[in-house]
Amino acid sequence: MRILRLAQEGAHALLAHKLRTFFMMAGTLIGVSALTVIMTISVGTARKLKEQISKWPYDVIKVNAGGGKGYTMPQDGITTLVPADTEAVQNQIDNVVMVTSVAEKRGLSIKGNSRQTGTSVFSIQPNWHEVMDWYIDQGESVTDEDIATMARVCVLGAAIREELFGEQDPIGEMVQVGNVSLRVKGILKPRGTGPSGRASDDRILVPLSTGLRRLFNQEHLSYIRLTVRDPDRIEDTGETRLERTAEEVRKLLHERHHITPPQEDDFSIVHAAIVMQEIRPISKAATLLLIVLAGLSLVVGGIVLMNIMLVSVSERTEEIGLRRALGATRGDIFIQFLNESLAMTLLGIVVGGVLGWVASVLLAKFRNLSIGNSWELFALIVVFALLVGMFSGVQPARRAAKLQPVEALR
Amino acid sequence: MIELADIVKTYGVGDVATHVLKGVSFCVEKGEYVAIMGASGTGKTTLMNILGLLDKPTAGRYQLEDNDVVTLDDEALSHLRNRRIGFVFQQFHLLNRANALRNVMLPLIYTDQYPEDAEDRAKQVLESVGLADRMRYNPNELSGGQQQRVAIARALINDPAIILADEPTGNLDSKSGIEILAIFKRLHKQGRTIIVITHDKNVAEHADRIIVLKDGQIAEDKPVTQPRDAETELKELACKEDLS
Repeated sequence: MRILRLAQEGAHALLAHKLRTFFMMAGTLIGVSALTVIMTISVGTARKLKEQISKWPYDVIKVNAGGGKGYTMPQDGITTLVPADTEAVQNQIDNVVMVTSVAEKRGLSIKGNSRQTGTSVFSIQPNWHEVMDWYIDQGESVTDEDIATMARVCVLGAAIREELFGEQDPIGEMVQVGNVSLRVKGILKPRGTGPSGRASDDRILVPLSTGLRRLFNQEHLSYIRLTVRDPDRIEDTGETRLERTAEEVRKLLHERHHITPPQEDDFSIVHAAIVMQEIRPISKAATLLLIVLAGLSLVVGGIVLMNIMLVSVSERTEEIGLRRALGATRGDIFIQFLNESLAMTLLGIVVGGVLGWVASVLLAKFRNLSIGNSWELFALIVVFALLVGMFSGVQPARRAAKLQPVEALR
Repeated sequence: MIELADIVKTYGVGDVATHVLKGVSFCVEKGEYVAIMGASGTGKTTLMNILGLLDKPTAGRYQLEDNDVVTLDDEALSHLRNRRIGFVFQQFHLLNRANALRNVMLPLIYTDQYPEDAEDRAKQVLESVGLADRMRYNPNELSGGQQQRVAIARALINDPAIILADEPTGNLDSKSGIEILAIFKRLHKQGRTIIVITHDKNVAEHADRIIVLKDGQIAEDKPVTQPRDAETELKELACKEDLS
């Protein structure tokens, strides 16, 4: 095959100039590896996000203390959300199945069984289990009586139980949070990672009153959580009942907290529709920026490739002339030079792809990022890199083919 | 075999036009050994380029074997250069990063049917020019005379009708030059057509016929009554060296 022999000629030229060859490949290599990393991470993050979103129950509305838009978290130091708000929601909003108050504090130290660790403390009401759809594994949970008496009791998350007591039975044992001793009366079922990505089993539950008065010394809540009956039913206004109810809760809290828009809310409402809408565009914009940057590096690499090839063509004028004299047609010369560019592009793609994948795996390991793969996206990267390589290779190859043998041999 | 009729080559147009060849006509028969002589600027390089199908005449007719060359396109010309013409240049024009063997095989890349025995053929022609022990050497490891012999081997690989040599001894010392001329003489005896372009009378006198160019026209075209014999001169040179 004539074309194979021409390719071989190109390969000889590339091997003969190793440094130049490396620079020809470098742009494609960097561009492709950067794009590969971005691809694996954005695919991985998107998948993780999707998994988390799918964990968010569709009938739940969460009212966090503190303002903000989108998928917010409750803010410390906002004292305006109080148990009376929970009661008002329960009594004045239609279609609410259950409401529960939660006050949480993270990073508290807990001692027990002569071991010590850090955890999050959730002050809850008994109906928390139903609202969260998350129940007791062993023993029993917080009761109305515990709340009335500010009982010094707690329920351990599976991870905390494991950490403090290992295989021992912790029911009836004492643990200490701050300087308050609590009797363990139950263990929560293990649950893994929640919608926010936090480890759900690293927590303890205490009665709401015990938490507020004895542990946190505060009157306010971190959030209110409620469930809505038939959340996807379409209301007269065209909204879903979930959205309608969220609006009603917002209005009620405006009234109760004396807020008149455009004054900013001192609370924020999160539900499934918001979780889905709000997170994606942010990560999309960031991904797009990265893609544009990496794509630019690929284009710059293409320009470098083109320039090196152009220099190479003028350096090898004599060689081109000789080949023409020995019987190479314009097409032969064109193919030989295009081959060189394409071979470098292909090599850059292969090495860049491998490098990008290795970098992704390392990032996943040491930076705790989620990675994933999409062959469709990778194919897109390859096609883009090939197009850039092709464009960069055609011009120099055409210039080489156009050289007149007489002038080239001079 | 070669028939040139009223070949004109003009560079530029109008007032700035330079007439390099002003109607050159001659024939070369198969098996002839012709030297084309002329001082620099007489158009001999242009003539060589036209003979070698590297350049097209502005006007005139050029018949090479069965081909009316002027009407052919780039691909057909490339094919003819590849199969019918063997070039030997003053500057050798070897690929520096390829060894002698690969340099000799270079024209085969551009043939339509790559011969199965390409490497054997290349080895054979290298042997025939006395480089059997230098096949794996790169050009920079060879002397000028050896490099020119690699170039001759390359010219022979496709068994061409004509060897077209442009100042083949111009870059060589006298002994290497005579060695090259001895090879030409041998090829001539084997029946090959050889055209040597040179400004050097001592080179031209090895041919059977000398065409002298002057101002873009043929000033003289005569046979050489007693062509010089490179083999004999080489022996004489060896004797002289022995004596001194």
